[in-house]
Amino acid sequence: MGHQISRRTLFRTASGLAVAGALGSSLSACAGGTGAGSTSGDLTMTWWGSDDRHNAYKKALALFQKQNSKIKIRETYQGYDGYFDKFNTNIAGGSAPDLLQMDTALVAQYARKGVLAPLDSYVGKSLDLTGFSKTLLAAGTVDGEFYGVPSGIGVNQLTVNRSGLEKLGLKLPDREWTWADLKKIAQDVHKKSGGKTYGVDDGGGSTLQCFEVFAREKGQTFFSDDGKKLGFTSDTLQEWWEYWAEMRKTNASPPPAITSAAHNDLTKNAVVIGKALFTFDSGVYGAGGSITDAQLDFLPTPQGDFSGAREGNFVNGGVLLCATKASKKVADSVKIMNFFAQDDTAIKDMQLFRGIPPTEKARNLIASGLTETDKLNMENADYISQRVSKASNALPAPVPPPQGADQIWDLLFQSNLAVAFGKKSIKAQLSEFFDQASGILGG
Amino acid sequence: MTTAQTGEVVKEPSVPATPSDQRERDRMRRRLARRRGGGWWPYLFLAPWFVGLFGLTIYPMLDSLYLSFTNFDLLTPAQWVGMDNYNRMFAEDPVFWDSVHATLVYVLVSVPLKLALALAVAMLLNRDLRGIGLYRAAFYLPSLLGGAVAIAIVWRQVFGGEGLFNDFLGWFGLNTGQDWISSPDTALYTLVLLAVWQFGTPMVIFLAGLKQLPKDVFEAAAIDGAGAVTRFFKITLPLLTPIVFFNVVLQIIDAFKTFTPAFVISNGSGGPLNSTMLYSLYLYKKGFTDLQMGYASALAWVLFLVIALFTAVNFIASRYWVHYDD
Repeated sequence: MGHQISRRTLFRTASGLAVAGALGSSLSACAGGTGAGSTSGDLTMTWWGSDDRHNAYKKALALFQKQNSKIKIRETYQGYDGYFDKFNTNIAGGSAPDLLQMDTALVAQYARKGVLAPLDSYVGKSLDLTGFSKTLLAAGTVDGEFYGVPSGIGVNQLTVNRSGLEKLGLKLPDREWTWADLKKIAQDVHKKSGGKTYGVDDGGGSTLQCFEVFAREKGQTFFSDDGKKLGFTSDTLQEWWEYWAEMRKTNASPPPAITSAAHNDLTKNAVVIGKALFTFDSGVYGAGGSITDAQLDFLPTPQGDFSGAREGNFVNGGVLLCATKASKKVADSVKIMNFFAQDDTAIKDMQLFRGIPPTEKARNLIASGLTETDKLNMENADYISQRVSKASNALPAPVPPPQGADQIWDLLFQSNLAVAFGKKSIKAQLSEFFDQASGILGG
Repeated sequence: MTTAQTGEVVKEPSVPATPSDQRERDRMRRRLARRRGGGWWPYLFLAPWFVGLFGLTIYPMLDSLYLSFTNFDLLTPAQWVGMDNYNRMFAEDPVFWDSVHATLVYVLVSVPLKLALALAVAMLLNRDLRGIGLYRAAFYLPSLLGGAVAIAIVWRQVFGGEGLFNDFLGWFGLNTGQDWISSPDTALYTLVLLAVWQFGTPMVIFLAGLKQLPKDVFEAAAIDGAGAVTRFFKITLPLLTPIVFFNVVLQIIDAFKTFTPAFVISNGSGGPLNSTMLYSLYLYKKGFTDLQMGYASALAWVLFLVIALFTAVNFIASRYWVHYDD
């Protein structure tokens, strides 16, 4: 037995292999190629969602299979996390699904890169879009071509813990409320709860449901129409961040650690963990199911309080169903889209799991089977879409966001957090935000 | 045998042979001839390894080197952009520097702590106690579980605002309600703690090293009046330096490549404020989420070079502090 460990035995074998392996794997993980088309005979369909949505899809698809026994559907589904990472990898590897649920926020990016199949030639033939409004169809239209069928109406609204509010002896605000009203009631929540609960989750970094509406009230959009620039000014964002700084200072909004924990994690949402009574995150009740026990209610995003305020709300398209361009089964995929858009049973199966149904006919079909909260949700959505359609000064619904949009939304979130954590002043963070944003959109 | 395999002529011995010797030698020669002629078949057995080496390592590496000079986005064909990706990284990308900072802190804090703990526990477990096997297994367990997503999720719960760690502090009246995971000042250190907790692998290697140390030297030292501390620093540590070196090299490489815990604990965001944006996570985000595979490939090559540099420095420095027997 040697007294010590010899260099030879140790390094020639173990470490040599380990080092080579370690270095190799970090590099080889990052190569890829492009390919096209799915190979198996089945039509592959994929979506993200909650268990409730999965079950609704499966139930509806089972009926479709019964009516169309020639089309064999292979279903894959998961949560939102990693859904598009997987989709990207599948496309690069040549195994993209034929039919997929698409995010309205990402449709432009994929359409412009030639991933999605244009559907114009099917509309009015095998794809019946009777009853879909123009604004709704805009959600699936990129550069004048139609790529995706919207599943329902998406509106920006606040989700309110109504029972919590009543317990504190506070009244649900009127639907025609302002940003000042929100501040007032959020401060009241903190006072009346003895400091246990904040009012509303921090919206300073929340884009889709929140800042975009604020910018539109000032006649500004989030992205310019060609998607190459931001559509709002530094002054607008400054006013916005100052509003939320004030909200945090007066305990109307929770401290940044709570906001940060909820990033990408609904279960940590301030309303879900009982730290606030109002949230801009529609996901708390988004997929047709609630993740809190509280009785929820809904309110439009507040607006007003300054000169020249105009209607900032807008109607969006829920999620979309899209076919991929490389697929050999686009025609079959369109049949399935049509089935979800028009078939009575499918509409009833899907309830509100993909948003408020897109057509009058569909909304009537599901009306009878709704829960109390579903009804409140639909009422508020109805209220908003009517207000938007009546408004004379509203901007047209936003164009589908450009590539890099999700990076910019994340940048907005992190920027607000940097201010909230006191790492940056609002002024310093503003110039950093605009610098980085132009880098992302330009490059 | 050796010469025959390399194809050189086998010389006849000059001593006259008996008939049985001759027969033996003929048989040997035939066998050698057969071996020389059938030289292809060992390669057949090696083929799977070659396929793996070239198909899964060398080719993808070269491919990624090529892609690092392109704007490949996974979805459309790549276009050559020269050094753009590398320039952008160093000159225009603040998040890159955030990730470099986070990764260096992570490596330089977690590796020494982890190795110190591994050695301390290995010393404790290097004795003949009853049920010692059980203790060793128990201490190794975290490393078996460590890479798992499940553990990272547990970590997120433990160090969250309402988590066990705060409950624990609460027993001592220290609960500040701090959310360790979602504060930019502490988030990275929860990752460091997770890494240190998984000290099992270096511990096992230290234990193997300790087992090989000569008992007589320690006995002699003890008789001469050397205390436990003196024996550790004057005998154990110097004799163990090859093992320490081995662990340092491997743990540094491992730490540079850490991905899973950062991904899971920050929900894939690297937040708050990029404080947990470890390099591998940023690389992944760029490649698969932001559709910038060309840029991600460039990031991968920089990581490769940095790891190679650290390893080379380690090897050079080792000449001055590692003692070998041979």
